[in-house]
Amino acid sequence: MISDLNSQTVDGRATPIDSVAEDAEVVLAVNGVSKKFCRDLKRSMMYGIHDITGELLGLREQSEQLRKKEFWALNDVSFQLRRGDALGLIGKNGSGKSTLLRIIAGLIKPDKGNVEVYGRVAPLIALGAGFNPVLTGRENIYANMSILGLSKQEIDQRFDQVIDFAEVGDAIDAPVRGYSSGMAARLGFASAIHTEPDILLIDEVLAVGDIKFRAKCERKLHTLRRNGTSFVLVSHQPHAILNVCNAAIYLSKGQLMSSGDTFSIMSQYEEDLFLGDEKRTVGVMYLPEKPVSESTGIDITYLFFRDKDGNILETPITGEPCTFCVGYNSRLEVENAGVNFGIQEIGGDGDHVLRLSSFQDKEPLKILPGKHEVQVKMPYLGIKPGIYMMTANIRKDSLYMFDVVDTYRFSVISKNPMSYCSFYQPRSWEVVNK
Amino acid sequence: MSRIAQSKSQTGRQPSKMVYSAESQVKHPIRLVQLMWADLLSSRELTWRLLVRDIKAQYRQSMLGFVWAFIPPIVTALGFMLAKSNGIVNIGETNFPYPAFVMFSTALWQTFSESVSLPIQQVNASKTMLARIRFPREALILSAEGQVLFNFAIKLILIIGVFIWFRVPITWNVLIAPVALIHLIILGTAIGTFLAPLGSLSNDVTKSLTFILSFWMLLTPVVYPTPEQGIFATIVRLNPVTPLLVTTRELATTGQISDPQSFWIASILAYLGLILAWLIYRLAMPFVIERVSS
Repeated sequence: MISDLNSQTVDGRATPIDSVAEDAEVVLAVNGVSKKFCRDLKRSMMYGIHDITGELLGLREQSEQLRKKEFWALNDVSFQLRRGDALGLIGKNGSGKSTLLRIIAGLIKPDKGNVEVYGRVAPLIALGAGFNPVLTGRENIYANMSILGLSKQEIDQRFDQVIDFAEVGDAIDAPVRGYSSGMAARLGFASAIHTEPDILLIDEVLAVGDIKFRAKCERKLHTLRRNGTSFVLVSHQPHAILNVCNAAIYLSKGQLMSSGDTFSIMSQYEEDLFLGDEKRTVGVMYLPEKPVSESTGIDITYLFFRDKDGNILETPITGEPCTFCVGYNSRLEVENAGVNFGIQEIGGDGDHVLRLSSFQDKEPLKILPGKHEVQVKMPYLGIKPGIYMMTANIRKDSLYMFDVVDTYRFSVISKNPMSYCSFYQPRSWEVVNK
Repeated sequence: MSRIAQSKSQTGRQPSKMVYSAESQVKHPIRLVQLMWADLLSSRELTWRLLVRDIKAQYRQSMLGFVWAFIPPIVTALGFMLAKSNGIVNIGETNFPYPAFVMFSTALWQTFSESVSLPIQQVNASKTMLARIRFPREALILSAEGQVLFNFAIKLILIIGVFIWFRVPITWNVLIAPVALIHLIILGTAIGTFLAPLGSLSNDVTKSLTFILSFWMLLTPVVYPTPEQGIFATIVRLNPVTPLLVTTRELATTGQISDPQSFWIASILAYLGLILAWLIYRLAMPFVIERVSS
């Protein structure tokens, strides 16, 4: 199924994306959609008036040609969405994700191709659109949900669920001006999600509120999906897409690069995003010598890993012993120095995968003048295969820092598949007679 | 939930098919008209919500509240009364006391000028909403005109007071004055709806509108009675606002319509203009929204 996803049939219609149910009806078909944009403000206004005139006189057709200073914000994008599907749109900033969402929502017209939508589309792009700060939460819910297309009767029916979900409590009768940003966003999210649409368009909104509320939103999205709502989701947080979506498409500069199951598309995207053509980062970094005027007396000169025999290791391997080495050049003698480092996964959620500090480990390092190397021996490398960014620094104490490197990149590989888990556990298996 | 509500919500979830394509909507006039009609019907409730929201917000943020509706006609009347009594301006005789004439006419003019500018303001203020949600965009225009009617209703209190104070004679024809007033508002709405997309695209529209409207007021018999001869009289007569405003004023006071023919021509112009402006508004908005950041 997945193998034939990238192909498009001759008539420009999209092949269906990996669906929850193959026979479920198509709720959204995007057929060869293209859109032109112009970055020049004045020119864009001129083209706008030109387009409007064309539209009014019925002259506007499919337009193949780019006018001066125009570019394709979307170029011949096709896909289909079936009932209950959750599709992630992945791509860098400016790759056309939001434009695509806006065309699907019927806000702007495509320049080529068409979009067929079956059922009610609700955008979750618009948290609290139309919220008026002077009015109370209650009044704003009515206005907001009305804009989203609900009748008074429908709002009345859902009202209690909305305030319950938004967790605003008694503040519902206070002006929204006094709400915290999280409260306002929660209220907006709750009103939008309770419109019970057939297709929900979600643009970067899962980041609202605290972690508890985010988890609640994701649960709600799962419930909606079970009940047959389809999603199109745009997010820069890979875990949001991985948690919610069963399929993904990858856009780059308006082109549909590939589509398929979320995980493989996400890996492809991350590879492209961080590596370009290089598949592996060589994890050895040498730093140029600093002039004395810029130096604090101790300079980091290199960062790399060594294997158990002491050879420089370009890519450390999950589960094998290794030693992380920080080379430095010192003109000082310091008694209780220390080294800290923190590792983050590139394209991850921003949390530290690993943080080590010689201060916390109560291992004061004695630094002597000259060239030396601090070594951190690790009997097993516990982090999973991936690409990482490390910051490393040498300090006198928590306030005074001698030198820092915050752009050391390395990749970790694995000899055995990790099966998508994020931690390597050294282990041995045995059956014991009791 | 009752059975009725259930069946209703089920029909409400009937998937309706929408196709968005590059092709101009004008090419399918029947479908276009059907869509326009459907949107007009479905915008009723939203119009009401927006109207209530905006009026509530407006009055909650203001200490003087209703007084703002009274101040402009009173100030204008005072100014012209002073100018007239000191002979600075030479204004002909009016059919009823001049202060009442100016205050009533200014209120009418204001209603017209609001019906031009409020739709533009409303669309401009709703840019972010327009850029993010698809809703019947007619609701913005309708709620703006709702505000115009609401503001006029408040001014009516002042007008009634003034009429009683100055003992302005009225006839039974006052009952059909609202019809003429509606035509006046329709004309304003047509202009406002036509300019609304442009107004969101470029600041030039909103900037020039203020002074165009004040110049236009001078070409309309608001502070003076309709001039009889001269080039100025011709200009004033060709101004489509003149017959509509004058007829409204005449119906509300003397009951004698001086120029019914011009009134009907201007009215037909207003209605045709509104339909055309609506069409332009609808077709132009996607291109405007494209140029508004979301």
